[in-house]
Amino acid sequence: MDNVTDGLEKAIKAIKIGVSSTEQEQLYLELEEFLAWLDPLLEVDTAETGQLLFGHDAVNVLKGDYPRQSDLAELQEAAPNFAGGFYLVPKVME
Amino acid sequence: MKYEVVIGLEVHVELLTECKLFCSCPNRFASEPNVNTCPVCLGFPGAMPQMNRESLQQALTASVALNCEVALYSYFDRKNYFYPDMPKGYQISQYYIPLGSKGFLEIEDDQGSLKKVGIGRVHMEEDAGKLVHEAGGEAAARSSMVDYNRAGVPLIEIVTEPDLRSSEEARRYLEKLKSIMQYAGVSDCKMEEGSLRCDANVSLRIPGDQAFGIKTELKNMNSFRAVEKSLDHEIKRQVEILNSGEKVATQTLRWDEDKQETIVMRVKLEADDYRCFADPELAPIELTAEEVEQALQNLPEMAEERAHRFVEEYGLPEYDAGVLTASRCMADYFESCLTLYNKPKEVSNWVMGEFSAHLKNAGLEADQAFFRPEDMAELLKMIDEQVISGKIAKKVLDKAFESGKKPRQVVEEEGLLQISDQSELEAIVDQVIAENPDTVESYRGGKSKALGHMVGQVMKATRGKANPQLVNELLVKKIDG
Amino acid sequence: MELRKTTVHQTVEAVLEGEITAHQLIEKTIKNCSVLNEGLNIFTSIAGVDALEQAKAVDRKIKNGEKPPLAGIPVAVKDDLCYGVLPTGLGSAAFNEFMSPVTAAVVERLMDAGAVVIGKTNLDDMGQGSTTLSSPTGSTVNPWQAGRTAGSAGAAAVATGICMLAVESDSGGALRQGASHCGVVGLRPTTGRISRYGLNAHCSSFARVGVTAFSSENISGILDLVSGFDQRDAATAVCREGISEIIKTPGSEDMTIGYPVTAFDHLEPDLREIFEQVRDQLSSRGYRIKEIDLGLLREGLQAYYVLALTEASSNHARFDGIRFGKGRETDSLEEMYRQSRSEILGKEARRRSIFGTFLLSKGNYDRYYRQALKIWKLVRQHFEAAFNECDLLMLPVAKNLPRPLKGESSYLDQWSDDLFCAPVSLSGMPSLCAPAGQIDQLPIGMQLVGPPFSEKTLLAVGSTSGPRDMGESPLSQ
Repeated sequence: MDNVTDGLEKAIKAIKIGVSSTEQEQLYLELEEFLAWLDPLLEVDTAETGQLLFGHDAVNVLKGDYPRQSDLAELQEAAPNFAGGFYLVPKVME
Repeated sequence: MKYEVVIGLEVHVELLTECKLFCSCPNRFASEPNVNTCPVCLGFPGAMPQMNRESLQQALTASVALNCEVALYSYFDRKNYFYPDMPKGYQISQYYIPLGSKGFLEIEDDQGSLKKVGIGRVHMEEDAGKLVHEAGGEAAARSSMVDYNRAGVPLIEIVTEPDLRSSEEARRYLEKLKSIMQYAGVSDCKMEEGSLRCDANVSLRIPGDQAFGIKTELKNMNSFRAVEKSLDHEIKRQVEILNSGEKVATQTLRWDEDKQETIVMRVKLEADDYRCFADPELAPIELTAEEVEQALQNLPEMAEERAHRFVEEYGLPEYDAGVLTASRCMADYFESCLTLYNKPKEVSNWVMGEFSAHLKNAGLEADQAFFRPEDMAELLKMIDEQVISGKIAKKVLDKAFESGKKPRQVVEEEGLLQISDQSELEAIVDQVIAENPDTVESYRGGKSKALGHMVGQVMKATRGKANPQLVNELLVKKIDG
Repeated sequence: MELRKTTVHQTVEAVLEGEITAHQLIEKTIKNCSVLNEGLNIFTSIAGVDALEQAKAVDRKIKNGEKPPLAGIPVAVKDDLCYGVLPTGLGSAAFNEFMSPVTAAVVERLMDAGAVVIGKTNLDDMGQGSTTLSSPTGSTVNPWQAGRTAGSAGAAAVATGICMLAVESDSGGALRQGASHCGVVGLRPTTGRISRYGLNAHCSSFARVGVTAFSSENISGILDLVSGFDQRDAATAVCREGISEIIKTPGSEDMTIGYPVTAFDHLEPDLREIFEQVRDQLSSRGYRIKEIDLGLLREGLQAYYVLALTEASSNHARFDGIRFGKGRETDSLEEMYRQSRSEILGKEARRRSIFGTFLLSKGNYDRYYRQALKIWKLVRQHFEAAFNECDLLMLPVAKNLPRPLKGESSYLDQWSDDLFCAPVSLSGMPSLCAPAGQIDQLPIGMQLVGPPFSEKTLLAVGSTSGPRDMGESPLSQ
């Protein structure tokens, strides 16, 4: 199995998105094309360059320790499967 | 074959803030599920995390208390994985740059000498929610229930170097860590309530080997005792495997408290790939060397220092000081009592003795008992005032501890008031003298022990309520005439 | 009152003076909106009664002697900005009925100022794209030419005169390309200037909330109202102690506009000609034009996609069907994830999340992700260096004319359309898209990019550059 096929399969599994086999085949071709498109990016010599991690220059944005309750009804109404105060998910085996 | 045990511990400690790490939801236990939730900690679209100042302060305090080097620049990463208790599909954690690193903590090793246990890292992260699997009910058969009250609660993760060499050392490390965290005021470290959680890595090797053996990971240990037991169990299992010529498999094991054994959770085929990267929604954290120094200066008194002070200031024996300072809340309790009743050794005896025994039976910490320092002071004052005897005082403490009633109220309700009425006692004393001529004789013959026997008889007759000193005096007066 | 022909200032005056009530203005707006929306597909939801109630509240305030600075101004809000009153669709088929508990900071500020939200505007799949072609509710039609996309629906809402302002997100260039394609003015602000709280960003590092209007003046008038520190968006902390603005007035000050020559080589000759004309006009209006070097545009675009995709894979991981959105009842947890997520994320969003996961995985992390972080830094340095030579610089917005509604264009072609916008996003600097000219009646915009917090200068220059009036878009009646 080549790296792209393997990597694509792992990525789909890790990100937990259901895709049909047709879509996966198409994604494979697109990913190969995309990676080739990125080639010039890899050619830039960045040996001496640092990296940026943040798009903003803010530091130490900290807030006070004052608790507050939220409107729970509003939050819980949005849940597709909510009962008895809990969010429900299919049975998890541990 | 004799193997060397190698243990490393990963401890998660919940911080004592008012709010969660990135939102304003209360960081406190709730009896109802999903009440301490908001758009941020539920990961709603558009809701952005806002870092809590107090969490940083406490994490910094913990780092310096554990002798760590503190990173003057650090930030939060996202650790990406899916699980229903993880609302955003990632955990916000410090992966690349932990706040604290290269620290240590000192314990006694198995030979009784002082040993440094290296602390590789101390980092901040958010807690996950909880999955509840309730037995019974139609819905419960098909569903697991998620409670996000704990999601987003501030944690620090403290990871040791693989420096521990026995299950006992591991327990001592945990006890010491708990004491330091409590004294530093950053966590109550109640393992049974989950505010301290511990995972362990265990491997064996031939003594003298540089390389480590294959390790297994132990999870789900709910008490210090369980940590020690499960480590022993796992060490034994690994010894058996190695002795039979097999290889230990890289596994995660779960401690089953009921069965008292470890159960394989999952076989790790490859290391998980969490795809960590800096969380772009948060700002980095910058500290100055002065701020770190300040945190060090502001560290509260730790257990050893306090024990030392108890000896110096209160003239307590070292043994007492050691016992009283084993936990911060016990030491706090002791000192609170002293502010109301300033006889250190008396208080020490009662706190270390009766009070501690009750705590242990009830499984409580000193700050959780109904019997408050003012109650202890009142009790001891009643003894001084001869309202009750020391013996009765123990009974009063029993009742007061269980019922939550004030000691004086217990004394009144139970009719435990000391009998100091001379005429009432005289009658009983006379009767005891009359009934025990032999004892009276041997007392007269110079056996002072005999007097004690007679005092006991009087106490027995009054169900312990007689004022022992008065009884003593009366007996001596009557016999010696 | 024809909204297209008056300024925000004039309209507010008219409402405050009682020439027209906010209620009358909004009533008319909603009627107009419903009619035009049929053909153009601009809105995913229209406020109706709620907007009229809001307008009444504004009228009451005025009666009580208040003077709301945006009294009665109809505003369009992109549907990735949460707004508690209307469904927040996010560009997902599974969120068409989602009532968000959050309202975006920018919307709160506009409403506090008396503006009235008319509706939520269409967007690409999970807000990912600059065309609306991947929208789950169909693309928005360009008001200038029925066969082409509008780029962004907010721009179309302004170009048609339905709304006077649109607030929109812009990561790789959606707001700017929309403004360009619809012949209106769009501002992507400096990092941290406008709070993004309440924006469902697919890429937090580059997503900004910006404003689109019919003219630079209209944006100038409201910029301060929506700017400033908000505890809920860490990036706005740069505004905590006040912004040090770069304000220069065209004409009264010597101003140099940088012209990155090689950038324009990427364009077809007819497009390039338009920019050359604008350059010459600016020169004749007294601006000094300086040819500058601005490298790494293509690599900047590529780095943008590496970073945007990786962040999207993580930002969109919250869509698991448990707490919001339409979830699926399945037997296994794994199936619930797979089914819910493939329903919430459309084809484009799925592609981006999957590719992003691939790029962040072991083995690819250093090769792609870390390299992109470094290119990000280099691009920012290039822009910083450019502003040592000039006060602001001009760039194209779009590489092509708006994409046709029908006919296939590959995802990679569409991503490549961000060639001039994405590197500016990497720079963190403000960018104003203003009309530059027309080809076959279709508007063409240009970017004026300046150093941090030079928005007011950009707006001042923007109001004097380009064509005075391109006329009315044919589909706005």
